[in-house]
Amino acid sequence: MLPMNWPRLLSLFLWISPHLLLAVVAAIICKRRLYREFPCFFAYVLYEIVESIMLFVLRTVPSVTGEQYAYAYYATLFLSIALRFGVSEEVSKDLFRESMLLKVAARRSLRCVTGFLLVVGVLIAVYAPGDISVRLVAGSIVSRGAAMVQCGLLLALLLFSRFLGLSWRRPAFGVVLGLGVLTSVDLAIYALRTEFSSAVWVPYLNLAMTGAYLVCVSIWIGYLLAPEPQPAFVSRDEVETWNSELQQWIRH
Amino acid sequence: MDPALMGRLMMGRLTISQLMTDQALLGQALLATWTLVGIALLALGILVYVALRGRNRRVDLTKVVEAFRSIDIAAFSNLVDSAEEAFLRNNLSPEKFRAIKRQRARAALIYAWEAGRAATALARVGQAAQRSPDPAIAASGVQLSENAFRLRLQTLRACFHLLTGILLPSRQGRSLPHLADQYERAAQTLFRLGKSPSGAPGIARSKTG
Repeated sequence: MLPMNWPRLLSLFLWISPHLLLAVVAAIICKRRLYREFPCFFAYVLYEIVESIMLFVLRTVPSVTGEQYAYAYYATLFLSIALRFGVSEEVSKDLFRESMLLKVAARRSLRCVTGFLLVVGVLIAVYAPGDISVRLVAGSIVSRGAAMVQCGLLLALLLFSRFLGLSWRRPAFGVVLGLGVLTSVDLAIYALRTEFSSAVWVPYLNLAMTGAYLVCVSIWIGYLLAPEPQPAFVSRDEVETWNSELQQWIRH
Repeated sequence: MDPALMGRLMMGRLTISQLMTDQALLGQALLATWTLVGIALLALGILVYVALRGRNRRVDLTKVVEAFRSIDIAAFSNLVDSAEEAFLRNNLSPEKFRAIKRQRARAALIYAWEAGRAATALARVGQAAQRSPDPAIAASGVQLSENAFRLRLQTLRACFHLLTGILLPSRQGRSLPHLADQYERAAQTLFRLGKSPSGAPGIARSKTG
């Protein structure tokens, strides 16, 4: 039988547990020395831990009003969004690290995609539903625009890698996948929040958001712990067959 | 109707035309919200698909060989040859020329698309070879993947070019990028890679993501 205040307990669990798991992520990054390759992601993880502690303290202090808490929440969220852009940049650098051609061509294309998404994000922030005159709702609308840009950028990165046949390293793929899940759910929740802003809906939307964060952190842990796959060698016969096919082809 | 709007109407603070405008705005807002939710869910679906699909993905060398076999570079070169196109333009009626050009562009598009797919597979092989402990194979792997990426980007450009040819057949386009040359360079690198004198054949199948 569920306790009477189970929504509150669930909400607390979903708020605290991802941040505890983030400490695990930070420990794995330190142990595997991944901070050298992903400094921005490491900074983001540490920032999220500190931010959550600060917000938790603010939440429990009785003298802090709901509005003050909301301002603190959005202020920290904007820095978090900025760091997420840094993480996207970092994983794109990692993806194109081995190709001089792609370092120039693909990253130029990605910049074009980012520019386009920024325009879409700004348009959504300006024209999409929600009363922008209320400052806190304005914060939510800006977050929605940012989520749109980040989600689109990560998706473009994934599709680009598939199109070109680029191999991801496990940690980078995990970071992109986790962040992609988080930003896409964020986008949906921010959009719904402007329409369903009544007190009845807010707790459910918050639960969905924190639940997505838990999934995201679990993905990070899974991929950071997973070993890089060892390439399996092809048999000599297979290479021979392959060679003869190619010889025929080259004769054309 | 929205209860807040109903209340304002009953209190006489809202005219019927204002009410209709408000209702229309409300409808637009709802549509925008659900569009964004739809986009977000689509993005989530693509992410999950890519993650699940990429988990057990391996480079199938048989498919690479098949892709090579299916592409006839001589035929492709003929289809995109500008001299050939000029000859057809001069000797056929405009309607007939447009129809023929569309068919040629469609056939060339299939070639370009297949070449692009083969390039993607080659890129994966090249990246796997880069991880080889044999420095010669690793160096060839770098060369192969660079050529494959270049070929992939070229095929993309070629596809756009050919699509324009299908949609606007009368337009005299510029010559196609050196797709055949790129393809041949990638194939030669692949050939060298296979011939590498290393004790164990060094080309590896790779998992991605």
